[in-house]
Amino acid sequence: MTDDTRAAAGNGTGTNAGAGTGAKGKGWGVAVAACVGLWLVQNGSAEPTPPVPTAAEAFAAGPHRHTDAAAAPLPPSAPVRVRIPAIGVDAPVMRLGLARDGSLEVPPAGNPNIAGWYKDGTPPGAEGTAIVAGHVDNADGPAVFYAVGSLKKGHWIEVTRRDGRTAVFTVDAVEVYDNEDFPDRKVYGPADRAELRVITCGGTFDEKTGYQGNVVAYAHLIGVR
Amino acid sequence: MRTTARLLTGTALAAVSLGALASPAAHAAPTGDLGKLEVYPSTAEPGDTVTVNTTACGKKGHGIGDAQSLGAGDFELSPGTHKDVVVGRFTVPSHAKPGTYAIAVACDNGRTATGDLTVKHGSGHTSGGHDSGGHSSGGHSSGGHDQGHDVPSGHVKTGVGGSVGPDTTRIAAGAAVLAASAVGGVWLLRRRASGAQDS
Repeated sequence: MTDDTRAAAGNGTGTNAGAGTGAKGKGWGVAVAACVGLWLVQNGSAEPTPPVPTAAEAFAAGPHRHTDAAAAPLPPSAPVRVRIPAIGVDAPVMRLGLARDGSLEVPPAGNPNIAGWYKDGTPPGAEGTAIVAGHVDNADGPAVFYAVGSLKKGHWIEVTRRDGRTAVFTVDAVEVYDNEDFPDRKVYGPADRAELRVITCGGTFDEKTGYQGNVVAYAHLIGVR
Repeated sequence: MRTTARLLTGTALAAVSLGALASPAAHAAPTGDLGKLEVYPSTAEPGDTVTVNTTACGKKGHGIGDAQSLGAGDFELSPGTHKDVVVGRFTVPSHAKPGTYAIAVACDNGRTATGDLTVKHGSGHTSGGHDSGGHSSGGHSSGGHDQGHDVPSGHVKTGVGGSVGPDTTRIAAGAAVLAASAVGGVWLLRRRASGAQDS
């Protein structure tokens, strides 16, 4: 017991010297307990959804390029690992092809810590648009790209490649799109510098049809290690 | 024999990728028992013949090369005109996609050599070698305007959802605290009521 609480307790019993004040104190205790209980129940039953990028991280919110600095593209070499220090991502990269409907394949859902790279497209660090995708969650909980929606302009994305080089990208924008309104050209289209897209699920969530959108982080090459 | 070689080259490739994982800052310089495999040209188009050579196999050595990463299969290396060098050739398959591929050679003496081959599409981009070639437009980029490969379309299905569900322990704890406070409240009220009667 600290001096403060002892003083408070002494004050309560000392001045009014009756069961009434003691009951009053206990009443407050009960009220606080009730509030804590309510908060726990309400907080626990809230449906947690992955972070969604704020409007400030969209292209529309600021200059098209938050920095004009860019590194010269590297020769092509396949990626082996991706790191995003700001959100604690450090995952191996597998190769992805296309599904029958023309959409990008996704890594196996059973492995929560693996990202995928579109193997027939540009390797990260080379000139063009490299595409990396990963799960936001799986049946067991959050997965590799759960927090991509909380990335901010200027955060770094590092991709280690097979040639031993690490391509360092800086985030230009983070946007969220409805599945029905996905801007293919903007996301997958060509680029005249070395660019990277990190894609995961996001947006609102529907119990029957799952996530209603994709979160896309846009980045460009700013350095090589 | 071929199977053994394949196993060996597979192991070598795994070792190379592991090395890349372990030391991302280190460049692809060969270390330890890994010999350097020279690849000419280092950038080629589908249909081109690529020549590789290495000193790893030793004098009058032999080896099996593995170009399966780009779909060219295995090839043999035999002593070349230079002393101590073994030479092998393979053809870049017409279906090879643009990219960088690891070529590995398993020597009969047990050593391994690896090198990289960059495959590009479209003539005019191959002359620059491996340094400036990456800057030429088109080529490997994912533009989708003149390449043989497709570009993805539509959204990606990267979430199951709902798995990060309600926190049941928190709800249970909250319910317990609520129940306790209710009991406490009732007890307090009853005590106050009886206390009022007493006085």
